[in-house]
Amino acid sequence: MTWIAEHLWLIPILPLAAAGITALTKQAYRRFASSLAIWAMFGALVLSCMAFVSTLGRPTSAANLHEVHNFDWFQIGETTLRLGWVLDPLTAIMLVMVSFVSLLIFIYSVGYMAHDENYTRFFCFLSLFAAAMLGLIISNNLLLLFICWELVGLASYLLIGFWYHKPSAVAAAKKAFITTRIGDVVFFLGILWLYSQAGTLLFYDHGNGCLEKSLLTELVGRTTVGGMAVTTGIGLLIFCGAIGKSGQVPLHVWLPDAMEGPTPVSALIHAATMVAAGVFLMARVFPILDPNSIGVTGSAAALTVVTWVGVITAVFAACIAVAQTDIKRILAYSTVSQLGFMMMGLGVGGVAVGMFHLITHAFFKALLFLGAGSVIHGCHEEQDVRRMGGLRKWMPVTFATYAIGMMALSGVPIFFSGFWSKDEILHAAHGWHVSHAPFYLGIFGALLTAFYMTRQVCYVFFGKYRGESHEQRSALQEKSELVTHSAHSASDPHESPRVMIWPLIILATFAVVLGFIGTPAWPWFQNYLMGKKAVLNFGELVQPDVVSVLLMSTAVVIVGIGLGGWLYGLKSVNSADELDVLERVRPDIYILLKNKFYVNEFYEATIIRFNAWWAEFCDTLDYWVWNGIVLAISYSILGLSWVNRIFDENVINLGFDEGCRELRQGGRLLSLLQNGRVQNYLRIIGIALVVLILALIWGCRAS
Amino acid sequence: MSGISYSEILKLVAPEMLVSLAALAVLAIDLLVMREAPQRYRFWTGAAFAGLGCGLAIAWLLAMNPPPHSMSAGLSLLQGTYADDVLVRLVKVALLVMTLFTLAISMESNFTDHIGEYLALILLATVGMMFLVSSENLLMVFISLELTSLSLYILTAFNKRNVESAEAALKYFLFGGMSAAFTLFGLSLVYGLAGSIQFSEIYSKLHAAKIDTLLLAAIVMTVIGFGFKIAAVPFHLWAPDAYQGAPTPSAAFIASGSKVASFFIFAKLMMQAFAGAEGNGAWRHFTPGWLPVVATVAACSMLLGNLAAIVQGNVKRLLAYSAIAHAGYALLGLLSNSQQGMSSLIYYIVTYGLTVLGAFGVVAIVEERTGDASISSFAGLGRRQPLLGLCMMVFMLSLAGIPPLAGFFGKFYLFTAAIGAGKDMGMLWLVIFAIAMSAVSLYYYLQVLKQIYVVPAVEDSRPIVVPVSSRIILSLLALVVVVLGCAPELLLGRLITAIKLASHQ
Repeated sequence: MTWIAEHLWLIPILPLAAAGITALTKQAYRRFASSLAIWAMFGALVLSCMAFVSTLGRPTSAANLHEVHNFDWFQIGETTLRLGWVLDPLTAIMLVMVSFVSLLIFIYSVGYMAHDENYTRFFCFLSLFAAAMLGLIISNNLLLLFICWELVGLASYLLIGFWYHKPSAVAAAKKAFITTRIGDVVFFLGILWLYSQAGTLLFYDHGNGCLEKSLLTELVGRTTVGGMAVTTGIGLLIFCGAIGKSGQVPLHVWLPDAMEGPTPVSALIHAATMVAAGVFLMARVFPILDPNSIGVTGSAAALTVVTWVGVITAVFAACIAVAQTDIKRILAYSTVSQLGFMMMGLGVGGVAVGMFHLITHAFFKALLFLGAGSVIHGCHEEQDVRRMGGLRKWMPVTFATYAIGMMALSGVPIFFSGFWSKDEILHAAHGWHVSHAPFYLGIFGALLTAFYMTRQVCYVFFGKYRGESHEQRSALQEKSELVTHSAHSASDPHESPRVMIWPLIILATFAVVLGFIGTPAWPWFQNYLMGKKAVLNFGELVQPDVVSVLLMSTAVVIVGIGLGGWLYGLKSVNSADELDVLERVRPDIYILLKNKFYVNEFYEATIIRFNAWWAEFCDTLDYWVWNGIVLAISYSILGLSWVNRIFDENVINLGFDEGCRELRQGGRLLSLLQNGRVQNYLRIIGIALVVLILALIWGCRAS
Repeated sequence: MSGISYSEILKLVAPEMLVSLAALAVLAIDLLVMREAPQRYRFWTGAAFAGLGCGLAIAWLLAMNPPPHSMSAGLSLLQGTYADDVLVRLVKVALLVMTLFTLAISMESNFTDHIGEYLALILLATVGMMFLVSSENLLMVFISLELTSLSLYILTAFNKRNVESAEAALKYFLFGGMSAAFTLFGLSLVYGLAGSIQFSEIYSKLHAAKIDTLLLAAIVMTVIGFGFKIAAVPFHLWAPDAYQGAPTPSAAFIASGSKVASFFIFAKLMMQAFAGAEGNGAWRHFTPGWLPVVATVAACSMLLGNLAAIVQGNVKRLLAYSAIAHAGYALLGLLSNSQQGMSSLIYYIVTYGLTVLGAFGVVAIVEERTGDASISSFAGLGRRQPLLGLCMMVFMLSLAGIPPLAGFFGKFYLFTAAIGAGKDMGMLWLVIFAIAMSAVSLYYYLQVLKQIYVVPAVEDSRPIVVPVSSRIILSLLALVVVVLGCAPELLLGRLITAIKLASHQ
């Protein structure tokens, strides 16, 4: 066992310590807080890279794919709860991705949050989030994973509501917390069920873990209601957790609202890492979803459900993204859609396919969000794309990197990572034995992706600037409480500081090169996850089915970008209030999309209204029934205590006082013995002698 | 025992000789050289010499190994006239330490001009106690007892300006003389029954014999003699008067050193010589022997000591009654009649001695500054002299048995030993009684503390000036009480090993 596998816990501990220290730091020590967080994250990155390298040089066999370290946490009766961590390629690649993206976003935040008064608190929360996320990745126990999962949720709640003076932020934080909690409750039920069935929650335990062959073979055999395999049931319950966390339909509603948080948070938590946790969870428990993947014959029905949910989410969210006007909201729906793609990839192609898209997406989505942040920053906190335009003149670097991100997301062929990872998913969907529908829906989703990204870029970077003039803005500023950057009082947009630009450039680089680690010609990534060696083989590229899918997705991208460019690029939009092109063509559909298929309204009208009604009912019940009972009980207790008090005062206290008086009296009587006359004293000795001897002799006779 | 030369005997009794020499030297120097010097100066010089003697004796006891053949079995010379083993040495060290502290709290007092005599008497009493603890012979016990007692009578009377002091000493003397007569009568009965005055031989003669009236009389009379020394009811009557009338340092010495020595030899005599005549002290299972006698005495002491202490208005008198009560608790250790009982008894009485020394030290200062030792003169002490108040709090709480002070653990071990003693927890009734009584005792200790911390000083609330030396000594005593309470193993561990070694005799 390597040193790093033994000490994997150091990775989450570093940011956790940073969070703890920062929590105790005064607000004034801004530099200290941010440098501490960044250096702790850097340390975590170095350790993650060490872990990654150690998995590279490992002898390749399925048996020692997972290096685990388990320990006893506590014992209840006969049951010992064991926790632990695991180092395998899945962990290693996630560790590197999360710590690297986090580090870049931490650095970016130094610039983005520079003027915020709660700077130290922000870095405390960020570090806490990173710690929880890293802990989630390394844990080898479903319970430990759940603990970290909840911590991640907490950090997310704290960060979405970071600007707690904005009511919308508070509402969004609450919404995110409650919505994901719905999934988590079901997830927890799954954990309990798994524990009751398997007796352990350890993933890998030298052959006895719940993801290992022997135990899983046993579990697959058991069935539950409706003849469903137990593993399928457990897998579906766990998947509900992932639905909440990864914003799948129908629990996706929180994710777009979560964009109320500061942009680095949106980038880190709600695009790159946390929302991917659901996908990661699915990849981690993949053997439960599909026992066949580790050579156990069993039902993979759960996986089919995962696929369908993923497909629906992918298309559904992409449609909504088409009609949004808030720059971050577009990206948020895009994230939801891409997460759907990942789920679909997992379902149709296994861990490697889904994870590959997860990794590439993390980089280019972080890039896009940071770019959006840069745009917002440069446009004085403006988020509506209709009030931007022509920014490429003012913000060249942001534009260039954003364009790379957009092309990666759209899947522009050959040079961008998104192309290869999305192609992988489509290719797997093409070969899926259950149905072809996911493939066609995926193609449609890819088309929409290219279209809405082009639309967004045209709105933001092309045409002419449609923002408010200087005068309008300052008038507005006087009215609003919003603290903006008084230093940048000029109305013109400006390029962001260097500390924000560099992370963009680095991320852009990765958005390009990452694609090449998983092309069909050299499927290194896929083999790495399986613990195999990759072989370079360009022949794979010209396999007929590969080529056909490649060509088809290329065509789709070209159509999507072309359509977007034609509608939004050719004829530039002149004023912010102008109707959208689509709105003019089909106002009914556009309005439907713009209102996100009325899902929020639907929930409002059904679940929330029912909830409110139920709460009212409970309140009434509480007030009239329970309260009455409680009052009755409390009055009877009051009466009892009154009786008790009377008793206490008149019997016990008086008795005690009497006892004390008697004691004092006794003392006084006894000290009368001490009358100061020696004759008496001596007489007492004599009496004592006689009494004692007589008593003893009497005792002697008696015995 | 025959193979020991005179030089070896001299070596053995060197500590006693050192203290005796110191007594003579103090007397001589004070009378010949320091006659005209100021009183304070004389006290310092005398105390320094006396302290030197005690210190050398302690060093000798600690540094010199016992003779090789006594390491395992102890040593008993000339029919038990002089015994020596690790336990005896430990008790002697404790006695000398208490003497040192007594000297230290005497130094600031000004009740007498006869400083040389005063110090020499303290040392002579110490010599008596040292011989007392190392004797295993009835005659030697009696002689040492008398040496100690006579010195203490004089020490009690030492405040010649105060008529109370003389009266107290006279009562003490008469009472002591009477009980000495009883003791001697009892011891001579024992000699008549056993034909020997050596503990071990008495045991071998008596343990098989049937308990008859004569033996019972002998036992009761012996108990009376020691009951007088340790101030147990009903032989306690001298104590309140003597404590109140005697100069405070003398009272402290009577309450501490003399108690330790008497308890030790009392326990040794009962457990060794009368080992066959215990009887049974269990509730409703009394059979004649010394256990029921001692149990009765212990119960009476606890009852009377604690109840009478409640109504006392003078702190010295209060401490006297508290001493009676504590004698009752300590007798529980004797009643358990086991090694554990012995170790808990010594631990208890040593820590009690140190605590009461400290308490009397505080009383001495307060009495000196305010003119009397009534409880009300302690009012506002916590503000007038915070250190003194704090020390007094430690001593009082330790006497009351509040953790983590030494008094608590002393009581705890005593009660544990007593519960475990005999068959079927026969001593449980007495332990329950003792616990109830120590709850009562909290009342009067807290009354003192209430005066110190709650009641404001009536008039003359100027800070009390205390010399640095007294502060150091009292703080040291308080520290010892706290440390022995927190880490009782420091003393108890040594005691247990020493008792194990000594019991191989």
